[in-house]
Amino acid sequence: MGFLAPLMLVGVAALAVPIAIHLIGRRRARVVKFAALDFLLATKRRTARRFRLRERLLLLVRAIACAAVALALAKPYTSCARKGPAVTRGPQAAVLVIDDSFAAGYLIDGKRWLRSATDEARRILTQLGPEAEVAIVRAAEAADHPSELTRDHLRLRDQLLALEPSARPADTTRALARAAQLLAASSHVRKTVFLISLLAKTGMRPDDPPWGKDGPTLVTSELRPAKLPNLAITGLRAEPDPGAASRGVAFDAEVGNFGDVAGKVELSLAIADRVVARGTLDVGPGERKTKRFLAALPAGARATDAFVALSGDALAIDDRRWVRASLRDRVRVLIVDGDPRTIRHDDEVFYLEAALRPGDREDSGTSVRVITSEELSGVEPRARGTAGAIDLDDFDVVVLANVTALPTERVNVLADWMRAGGGILVSPGDHVDPAAYDRTMLPLLPQSLRDPIDTTWGAPPEERDSRALHLVKWEADHPIFAPFSKAAPELADARFFEISLLGPTTSADRKVLARFTNGAAALVEASIGAGRTLLFTSTLDRDWNDLPIHPGFLPLMQQAVRHLARKHAAFGDTDHIVGSSVVLPTGDLKKLEVRGPDGTGAVFEGDRIAGRSSVRFGKTSRPGVYRVIGTDQTGSTHERDELAFVVNVDARGSDLTPAPAAALPVSGTGSGGTPVDDARRIELWHALAAAVLLLLLAEGLLVQR
Amino acid sequence: MSEARPASRLHLDPAQLARLASLPIKARVIVEGALSGLHRAAVHGASVEFAEHKEYSPGDELRHVDWKAYAKLDRYYVKQFEQESQLTVYLVLDASASMAFAGGGIAKIEYAGMALAALAYLVIQQQDKVGLIACGDKTLETLVPPRARTTHLHDLMSVLESIIARGATGDESPATALARIAELTRRRRALIVLASDLFDADDQTLQLLAQLRAQRHDVSVLHILDPHERSFPYDGLTQFEALESAGKLLVNPAAIRQDYLARMEAFLLRTRTTLTAAGVDYHLVQTDQPLEQTLLELLVARSRLKPARRAG
Repeated sequence: MGFLAPLMLVGVAALAVPIAIHLIGRRRARVVKFAALDFLLATKRRTARRFRLRERLLLLVRAIACAAVALALAKPYTSCARKGPAVTRGPQAAVLVIDDSFAAGYLIDGKRWLRSATDEARRILTQLGPEAEVAIVRAAEAADHPSELTRDHLRLRDQLLALEPSARPADTTRALARAAQLLAASSHVRKTVFLISLLAKTGMRPDDPPWGKDGPTLVTSELRPAKLPNLAITGLRAEPDPGAASRGVAFDAEVGNFGDVAGKVELSLAIADRVVARGTLDVGPGERKTKRFLAALPAGARATDAFVALSGDALAIDDRRWVRASLRDRVRVLIVDGDPRTIRHDDEVFYLEAALRPGDREDSGTSVRVITSEELSGVEPRARGTAGAIDLDDFDVVVLANVTALPTERVNVLADWMRAGGGILVSPGDHVDPAAYDRTMLPLLPQSLRDPIDTTWGAPPEERDSRALHLVKWEADHPIFAPFSKAAPELADARFFEISLLGPTTSADRKVLARFTNGAAALVEASIGAGRTLLFTSTLDRDWNDLPIHPGFLPLMQQAVRHLARKHAAFGDTDHIVGSSVVLPTGDLKKLEVRGPDGTGAVFEGDRIAGRSSVRFGKTSRPGVYRVIGTDQTGSTHERDELAFVVNVDARGSDLTPAPAAALPVSGTGSGGTPVDDARRIELWHALAAAVLLLLLAEGLLVQR
Repeated sequence: MSEARPASRLHLDPAQLARLASLPIKARVIVEGALSGLHRAAVHGASVEFAEHKEYSPGDELRHVDWKAYAKLDRYYVKQFEQESQLTVYLVLDASASMAFAGGGIAKIEYAGMALAALAYLVIQQQDKVGLIACGDKTLETLVPPRARTTHLHDLMSVLESIIARGATGDESPATALARIAELTRRRRALIVLASDLFDADDQTLQLLAQLRAQRHDVSVLHILDPHERSFPYDGLTQFEALESAGKLLVNPAAIRQDYLARMEAFLLRTRTTLTAAGVDYHLVQTDQPLEQTLLELLVARSRLKPARRAG
């Protein structure tokens, strides 16, 4: 604040006049010793208080009035240096680019940032004046853009009032490009783009400028606070839990901290809208951390939707993320029995089959088909529809149990299938000739086989047990051995009398998962392509060992085939981001309806579905669970749970890190897009003069009382 | 006995009177000058007083037969006499601080002192006993026992003079003094004259006055107020300070005058109503009122009351 006539401030000393009068007046008050003071006190205590208050108010009013007169004569003024866009009134073309990305829903002092943005836009609109041709361009990704500028400011105001944060991240560069296009079509000389944005780095593409050097003037209205801390769930995956029961699912929620302060995040997992687990996670500034929840799906449900939510922060939309969790597909195992017997328990795979289908129950999670080596010749991948053929794609794991070396052509078929994601478990036996295996079977093996050794050879019966080998040194952290304790007597007590030795190898892909007491490898794993192979160096029946009659055999075999069938661990592609289109198989449905989380959706029927194997749904405008209701040819309508999918916000939009100034396009007038100080002088003496009048009026009223 | 008195003598200005040398002189001026001849009879010193004649009836004492009347009327009449015992008068002077107030003339205590001195003079002149109790300052006990001797008057006047000279202090109400009198006069009826502004906070004084009256004592109250206390003539910013406490009030008197006067009138009405109902002889006196008038009113009122009470 300044003064045009500062000398007049000397008059402020007049402030002392009413104070002096007041003090002198107090001293001049007559003192009367009065006998009947009680009558005065009893009746007029309140009056006295009022009197004192009135006296003080009078003093205050008079003092302020005296000072105000002096101040008014000094002609004070102030300058308005508000940061904001410099707006020139008059005929011109202007585009208001407003950030309506989901980040615009950020709460600042309990108010959405977008509301401040639209207020600012309305203010600019007013200052531009009715002669300006204006358009409003939304900066959210894939937002609809206007086709032309307009002078219908009333409609523009309505648009601003109706503006809500979308569920998409910002694409400011695209919006600016559209603004430049609109302005390019205008005949006005003055062309301005007013950018009202959070200016998040993720919305800018500095390498793709929206206009060249002769572009419009860019005026940036930076409304964002200095700091916009944000916590978000940036990813959520649901996987079958390898160590859990058949209904167990592991949920991995990734939490991102986009602020500069470490935070302790409270997370909760809800399955079918019911919170089933809670947890906390410390996430440092700029960090992303994953929290794992283990939960079981509800009984009877093969698939359900779930979400992980974090304790609310200022931006709520990215605090929750959905996922579709489905139970593991049944592990389909094809067992090639290399030594079939008519006596059941003498069969090579009797114990293996029993272990994979305990109790022969359907809910074991494993389906088993046993064939002989001869039948293996009819096995082909993608043999659907071929009579008598076995389709390899119907299986996840192939077990070659004591199978004689296969011809190269068969091996290649199996190897191709394995590289595509299949799993093979090989176990030797009396029918296995290491030399023959070396010739043809190596593509299926992690390591070549050598002749077996019989540890009890030549030993008297009483020493037989003492010469037997035992399993030791297994990879306790490996999924196959996850169910076992470190000592695991159910495995360690098994005696191995004969084992196959392995040839030398330099392959880094193989890994020995368990060894015998003599140091020989017991279980070797290798990844080949997308598939895996396991080599167990003893038999899967009791010919070379007694492991099958030990309690550890069943979980070991179960875990082995689950591990080999890993391609089924991943869930289907049911996770989409807002705005993406989703392809839905129609099957034999004659009508398909998609219902979004906000009740909106689409119905595919008639020509839209007839003769099509799939339909494309594109109205994924809000995050949440989208349900699919299908009507089949018989007219039966019910929810198709297997087709349901979830949509989440694009985690890129959660990062509100401000873009550097260089990321903004160069303004046509060279202002560089920095905020402009709109400084102007505001004279205050009018207000002071009015205040003096009001004070005098108040003084008069007080004196009258 | 002449009822006529010079107007100038009847209206002695209390302020001028206060300038006279000593209290006995003031009392004498008041009594002898203003009230001379007002007495019903000269002081005889006798203990019996003729009251009326009564026709003789058997059993009456023959020595009371009025033979002169028999000679004139040829009928026997018996003289009946009124028994007059020696009167005991207690003068109670309220010397509390509030009595020091002097609005424009003399202080209330000075006025009260002169009035009581005049009464004492009168009583001694009638050879009745008169005593004095002053109240107000708890630390100073002032009791002059009732005596009828002329020399006693001098003592009493000296005490009164010293009280007035000392000035009114303290905040003790007359109730204490009245309670003391009640004890002292347990067996004999007395005339109790209280000169006070009755500004004590509670109503104990009024209750005790009524109680004394109920004990068949004759009670008179000179309720002494300053004219300024009645009219509240103050103007301009004024700080009122209490006499009996540390209370202060800075106020514009004009703003509160109406309320104050209403309260004062309510107080006076209540006091008058209470005391009159109890049979107390109540006189509201302002300090600008001539003292002889005050004394006259008191004596006239007493003379009116006497036949009534005798009849009763």
